[in-house]
Amino acid sequence: MATQFSASVSMQTTSLAMTRISFQKPALISNHGRTLSFNLRRSIPTRRLSVSCAAKPETIEKVSEIVKKQLSLSKDQKVVAGTKFAELGADSLDTVEIVMGLEEEFNIQMAEEKAQKIATVEQAAELIEELMKEKN
Amino acid sequence: MHVMTQMQQSFSMELPSLVPLQLPSRMETHLWYVLPNEVKSTSLLKQFYQLLSPPEKDKVLQMRGDDLKKNALLARTLVRTTIARYQKNHAVDPRTLMFKKNMYGKPEVDWQNYKNCNNPPLHFNISHTDSLIACGVTVHVPVGIDVEDKERKIKHDVLAFAERFYSPDEVKFLSTIPDAEVQRKEFIKLWTLKEAYVKALGKGFSAAPFNTFTIQSKAGTQGGYNLCKTSEMSVNSLEKTKKCLCNEEWKFALLELADSHYAAICIEDDQDSGGAPMKVIVRKTIPFVEDELISENKFL
Repeated sequence: MATQFSASVSMQTTSLAMTRISFQKPALISNHGRTLSFNLRRSIPTRRLSVSCAAKPETIEKVSEIVKKQLSLSKDQKVVAGTKFAELGADSLDTVEIVMGLEEEFNIQMAEEKAQKIATVEQAAELIEELMKEKN
Repeated sequence: MHVMTQMQQSFSMELPSLVPLQLPSRMETHLWYVLPNEVKSTSLLKQFYQLLSPPEKDKVLQMRGDDLKKNALLARTLVRTTIARYQKNHAVDPRTLMFKKNMYGKPEVDWQNYKNCNNPPLHFNISHTDSLIACGVTVHVPVGIDVEDKERKIKHDVLAFAERFYSPDEVKFLSTIPDAEVQRKEFIKLWTLKEAYVKALGKGFSAAPFNTFTIQSKAGTQGGYNLCKTSEMSVNSLEKTKKCLCNEEWKFALLELADSHYAAICIEDDQDSGGAPMKVIVRKTIPFVEDELISENKFL
């Protein structure tokens, strides 16, 4: 069914001269006129029960710095504990370089199977702290 | 009617139908690629977005930055539209394709919707960089592909990287290259070949750690590669030695794409092929718009 739709839809219209696309999820509006705004950042559930505490903020900070450096991100790119490397555009080569950078920074060695499973900043930080604890 | 449905409906414009394709023959790989810089039309991109499943749309939106969102969108679009075209007589609606992951996480087509049709046993694999998105397609045999920008700078010392992750024979090969730039390029070519193999295997990185296998050029051939797996052998109770065993089960091809990228392809070898080099058909595409057959291909 071909539909002609007017330009007045609640998605940002971009002129064709611009090549950037702005994707925004439309905010849902309930029938009663109340605006429901959805938090677009989904909390990523941890897949394993962690008996130890979550990683220290300093470790998270250092990991974020190394990730930003490897991926050539700007200083003001937001990278937090839950950030997935893939969301930042890291490919497998980037991930391996990030692991190398973390090994150098923290003077540890990550076993390949464990390093491969790292998908977020928090997971990297937790593994680092685990390895540092074993060292001492 | 729920407002979200209204919004989705208001976007369903008619897309032109997809031009159907002939299946690859046995031992042949079809390699498709998109250059994001060539896809500028915002209305076309919005149409692509409507082809994706809800989880795919979520994943696109999760990417940090417009360029990353666009490339994620193009990657899913390339997969859906390409596979949809390889159906008998006419292309299926790319929106109806379903995907699943094998038990190690490798994506594959889920043909459950098409129980009554003669589905070709299509295999596919994708890879992308900032500036190129590629999809390899085969029938009957698993395929893995990897693409890398030729100019990609490695932030670490190349030999240190190789010593940490590659096999001893590969480190030896790289360390004999005197020119740093040539060494970097060979490192990247090796990376793509190794990645392509692991992806073709489809069992995840830990099934084939990079330092447990060696890929090397076949002497006396243009573009042939050997895969050798290192295994430990006990010579006696005191000595262990590492032996490199040649593995005939996989075929490789390495080529230059768009003058800017290395692309490696790995497929499971059909023993009947008699060691013949892999046949690759390369096409550049913009889904729904145009295909361009690349007839001159530089195999490395």
